[in-house]
Amino acid sequence: MEGAAVYGIDVGSRWVKVVCREGNERKFLGRYDTAEFYRLFVAPGPDGGVLKRELLGIPREAEVVATGYGKARVGGAVRVLPELEAITRGVRALTGIKDALVLDVGGQDSKIILMEGGRMVEFAANDRCAASSGRFLENMARVIGMSLEELGRYWKGSLQLSSTCAVFGETELIGLMAEGHPLEEIAAGVNRAIVQRLWPLVTRFASDRRRELVLTGGVAYSLAIRTLIAERWGREPLVPSPPDYVAAVGCCTPGEE
Amino acid sequence: MKPGALSRRIGITTTVPIEVIYASRRIPVDLNNLFLSREDAPECIEEAEAAGFPRNFCAWIKGIYGALKREGDIGAVVAVTQGDCSNTHALMEVLQVEGITVIPFAYPYDRDRVLFRSQLERMMEAFGVEEEEVRSAVDELDRVRSLALRLDEITWKEGSVTGRENHLALVSCSDMEGDPSSFARKLEGMMEQAREREPWRGVRLGYVGVPPLASEIYDYLEELGARVMYNEVQRQFALPYEGVEWWEKYLFYTYPYSFQYRLQDIATEVKRRGLQGIIHYVQSFCFRQVEDLILRRSVGVPVLTVEMDRGLRLDARTRMRLENFVSILKRL
Repeated sequence: MEGAAVYGIDVGSRWVKVVCREGNERKFLGRYDTAEFYRLFVAPGPDGGVLKRELLGIPREAEVVATGYGKARVGGAVRVLPELEAITRGVRALTGIKDALVLDVGGQDSKIILMEGGRMVEFAANDRCAASSGRFLENMARVIGMSLEELGRYWKGSLQLSSTCAVFGETELIGLMAEGHPLEEIAAGVNRAIVQRLWPLVTRFASDRRRELVLTGGVAYSLAIRTLIAERWGREPLVPSPPDYVAAVGCCTPGEE
Repeated sequence: MKPGALSRRIGITTTVPIEVIYASRRIPVDLNNLFLSREDAPECIEEAEAAGFPRNFCAWIKGIYGALKREGDIGAVVAVTQGDCSNTHALMEVLQVEGITVIPFAYPYDRDRVLFRSQLERMMEAFGVEEEEVRSAVDELDRVRSLALRLDEITWKEGSVTGRENHLALVSCSDMEGDPSSFARKLEGMMEQAREREPWRGVRLGYVGVPPLASEIYDYLEELGARVMYNEVQRQFALPYEGVEWWEKYLFYTYPYSFQYRLQDIATEVKRRGLQGIIHYVQSFCFRQVEDLILRRSVGVPVLTVEMDRGLRLDARTRMRLENFVSILKRL
């Protein structure tokens, strides 16, 4: 149905993003804290939950497509799309690129997608630990008393964090602060640690460096992360705008057949 | 300890020559299966942690420990001290201190016949049985194994057995549920049920690695449109080797030997069963995670590695990975 409004909802581990597409026009309707989203916009139903469309301003008859960890929670005539499929479609819609390596760093995990001809042909995801995710950055920022934006300003220095764990990492930071290391150096160490953790995922498919590296997910807002990735990759990663809405955009984008 | 003093139920930590145990009129109990079949399985793990097992330690070992303690009447355990893992060694040390009789059994890494025979003889001695007596137990156990292997064949040839059924039938061959003839009837019943079903038309998967703690992985995959038609390690528990001496089957049995040797079996079955992808299950904190990189280089079909720790249910992260993997395989 060309022209009819389609709503895309990405129920992520940390934030829920909602997008509406009507013809070629795209509206970014909002970003909600995930726990709050469940509380406010999902009514309990027999098979999980039912999306309260009216509260979100979604017409009753409109097509809604959901993705992300919580997609099964938003029942009620909502179609679901596998998350990495949604990211692939979203990258294509927002950048026009069809062949790329997509690194998605989300709230609680990270994935790499090999995209060819606009379709996902292979993927890999990080191991169980949440150390290479937005959650790690959030925790670390809290410990050193910085906003995420401020944390993202530091990447230079030589301070190495030995811990690769989001929980033990916190203990290590407390120790480093006690030893008198400047907060800026610790912040840079945090950013380097996360990129270092991400890199084995990237190198798994990185035989062709001519390929575009696309960075998606909320962590792509961090200047430090983008810079450190560029240092390792050899050039700037491409960041779709807005990077955290990519999967939601993908939900209202038809697949490449 | 004299053989006569051994308890009636004998714990095993993985597949060992159960012919010896049955010949001595004792009942083998696969402690892994015992742990998972207990309603208080999560508490078994907690009990092990309360006793001092670390949180970052294999959940299977902790579960075995807890289950064994709660069961109460298993006074002896045959422990595989070579061909399994060092975590098992640590478990055995603890059990010995706590008064459990440990009968060690080592699979020689290079599948050396002489070394294997000497291990077998030590085991027979520990149970106080002669090889002649052991041979008398062989026929019935082999008959049950051939039923399980028939069910396995139906799984991939006719597509009417589910991945979970295949898993349960084969994984139970390690101890034959303590009662080979009743287990045989169960297998026959499963095959009977399968006859009425339509053949599977979806994605064909292989499952490589130790059996999962969360067996709902099989059901979830089928919901997604993919069926496991090859359970690598579980099938090995049914000793799929014919035309050899009964004890030689344990030399062909792949799991306790080198990963390269396991790979040959995996490659053959991937081809023979027309598998489109492999799920490689790795247990958190297990050295076998490293074998994943060898598998990826050699197997020739897409591999998804899933790592799980102590959860008996599938978590959202694992579901996400499985869902995307199946969606790719459907398009390839």
